[in-house]
Amino acid sequence: MLAFASPARAPGALEVVASFSIIGDFVKNVGGDRVNVTTLVGPNGDVHVYAPAPADAKKIADAKLLVINGLGLEGWLPRLLQSSGGKAPITVATNGIAPLRLGSDADPHAWQSVANAKIYVANISDALVAADPRDAEAFRANAGRYAAELDALEREVRAAVAQIPPAHRKVISTHDAFGYFASAYGIEFVAPTGVSTEAEPSARDVAKIISQIKSAKIPAVFLENFGDPRLVSRIAAETGSKVGGTLFSDALTDEKGPCPTYIEMVRHNIKTLTSALGN
Amino acid sequence: MIHDVLIAPFTEFEFMRRALAAAIALSLGGAPIGVFLMLRRMSLVGDAMAHAILPGAAIGFLLSGLNLFAMTTGGLIAGFTVAILAGVVSRTTGLKEDASLATFYLASLALGVTIVSIKGTNIDLLHVLFGNILAMDDQTLLVVAFNATITLLVLAVIYRPLVVESVDPLFLRTVSRAGAPAHLAFLALVVINLVNGFQALGTLLAVGLMILPAGIARFWSRDITGMICIAVIAAIASGYAGLVLSFQTKVPSGPAIILVATALYVGSVLFGKVGGLIRQIFPAPHLEA
Amino acid sequence: MAAQVQFRQIQFHDVTLGYDRHPAVHHLNGEISTGALLAVVGPNGAGKSTLFRGLVGILKPLAGSIATGGLDVRDIAYLPQTADIDRSFPISVFDFVGTGLWRATGFLGGIGKAAREKIAQALAAVGLTGFENRAIDTLSGGQMQRMLFARVLLQDARLIVLDEPFNAIDTKTSADLLALVKRWHAEGRTVLAALHDMDLVRGNFPQTLLLAREPVAWGATSEVLTAENLVAARRMCEAFDDSAAPCVADDVPSQAA
Repeated sequence: MLAFASPARAPGALEVVASFSIIGDFVKNVGGDRVNVTTLVGPNGDVHVYAPAPADAKKIADAKLLVINGLGLEGWLPRLLQSSGGKAPITVATNGIAPLRLGSDADPHAWQSVANAKIYVANISDALVAADPRDAEAFRANAGRYAAELDALEREVRAAVAQIPPAHRKVISTHDAFGYFASAYGIEFVAPTGVSTEAEPSARDVAKIISQIKSAKIPAVFLENFGDPRLVSRIAAETGSKVGGTLFSDALTDEKGPCPTYIEMVRHNIKTLTSALGN
Repeated sequence: MIHDVLIAPFTEFEFMRRALAAAIALSLGGAPIGVFLMLRRMSLVGDAMAHAILPGAAIGFLLSGLNLFAMTTGGLIAGFTVAILAGVVSRTTGLKEDASLATFYLASLALGVTIVSIKGTNIDLLHVLFGNILAMDDQTLLVVAFNATITLLVLAVIYRPLVVESVDPLFLRTVSRAGAPAHLAFLALVVINLVNGFQALGTLLAVGLMILPAGIARFWSRDITGMICIAVIAAIASGYAGLVLSFQTKVPSGPAIILVATALYVGSVLFGKVGGLIRQIFPAPHLEA
Repeated sequence: MAAQVQFRQIQFHDVTLGYDRHPAVHHLNGEISTGALLAVVGPNGAGKSTLFRGLVGILKPLAGSIATGGLDVRDIAYLPQTADIDRSFPISVFDFVGTGLWRATGFLGGIGKAAREKIAQALAAVGLTGFENRAIDTLSGGQMQRMLFARVLLQDARLIVLDEPFNAIDTKTSADLLALVKRWHAEGRTVLAALHDMDLVRGNFPQTLLLAREPVAWGATSEVLTAENLVAARRMCEAFDDSAAPCVADDVPSQAA
């Protein structure tokens, strides 16, 4: 129960390892300067296919608390844990969230709904308190303040969606990370039929997407993974839809990018969606 | 039913009409060039050129970021430089055209890789530069059509010196000074067609619709004019059938067109009137005189 | 007979031609007058082909100069020895021979009815009527040579330079083509031919230049092709001497034709 004195910058700060950038952001907001957060999958990284480095094992070994997403997001984690031999407690930030399904598995992108994000924050707050009870008051205060910010964000998102005419609330996208967002806020994310993002699409694939967009009257196209942006423009031109901007789902950006924090990421996404879908 | 398969895709979808227009334009400009390339034993120049343009594209990228126009212009300049230098060296020294081109394109590629690595970016510049026939916007269509027109016009002018230079260069040297300019003009046409072809349609299509139709034509005609006509027709047919194939299946458009062209080529190797394998194995009975 | 405009003779001013600084033709002086019919003979490596290349402008002299006063590049018809012709190129005999009309058509001019007639006549003159549509890779050696002669015919040149035109072809063809050479001579054209067959030279060529890198003899054929001259010519060494020193110019007396 007594925390060991740790060789950190802030005296007595808790060493916490977060699995990826979004969770890292939550932990920083709840822990403030009472925690030292190290993130395994940093900004712009791909948490689905991350290949851990030896340095990561060391980070875990030195940590007092490990916070992960769970729901199958970090497939590379069990082996890393084994090799690091770390004894720190692991908090699954999605505890208590009823998961949606993505194909036959659980959809791990639960943070896309701001309401879920509040649950993440609550879980993280509890874990920090348990790991370092001396700072419990600070943690709870921070968590409370951050939860209020998230509430404001939630209202923002709903207001923005309300601006979009109901018939326009759908996009076509190869992103499969917006299930929770779609379910929470009513914007439909339609997957293009039969297209894998890696391969070059055949004429049939393109024709199918065009027909799909036309018949479902989808107003915006978010196909930035499609390889050739000119192809996306062509599809948009032929269907009368708009080419949407870039949506961020699985990682924050670094300081120079548009989404260095979770709240900014959600704001960016909703702004991009409303400008594409609004009249 | 036939109508559904062969005509409907083009009446229903604009991107298909544009793709067909691009394929036709590419065939009109590229196929005649391909015949001359093949006859002058320069069939691999397409691949060489795809690499030779790198320093130009890299400099364009350094100056203007991922601006297609800047990178294409840079690519054109690099391509011209390599082609003209190679042409001049092969004309004034004993080094043959293919070796001359090889040395310059390798030097160019090395230069390009150096420039890219100094800048420290890991974007695959060439990948960005290469387009897709299904993505024909107005500007790209114009470029492709413009290419075809320029190519046909210039070829018409340099046709005779080019032919004579290919069959009996020494003779041309003794009767005319048109040999060198015609040769360089031809190289310039090659560069324009290739670089603009890459940017609009990707390397596979740009090079493929130049070289494969030439190979096909070789088996059906003994005369260069006939070859050029057959090459153009073969290229257009491949473009059309390839697009239909890509429309009915999951085969991407570029490979589909090239696969059709390849099938035509194999058919020509086997059944061609001029030197086809079947004719060699089962020759028709000889004539009386 | 084509109208003859007098032009000054071809003049060789102490000409040295060669490769890699080694002389293949060494210090040649002399003149060829208009309308001459000159055979150039000598052992292998004597410099005959090199001389012709210098004459038609393909090879630059290492020293000295060749004056062809008044002659344009289009007034010379040159038939090289091993023609660098790409036989696999898909062109018909008719079109190939037709390029001989380059002087008249340039590279954009059309081939009209009159031109087609001329081509047909040229083919007839060399005995290739009926070969118009054949691809050039189907021709035998003799037929190839006939075709090249037809092209020279069409070129209508004032100076005709033939490098070993009768090599490796049958007697009938040689005889036919020789008749053409005589016809050109009768028309007042200047004809030079490098030849190996001494009997043919003695029988048909009034003048001969015996070349063995350096000129051995030049003048009337009967005076040039003597036994001693031929022996002297054969003594010439064929290979280049890698240890040779740079040449100090001798004063070789002029040998006019």
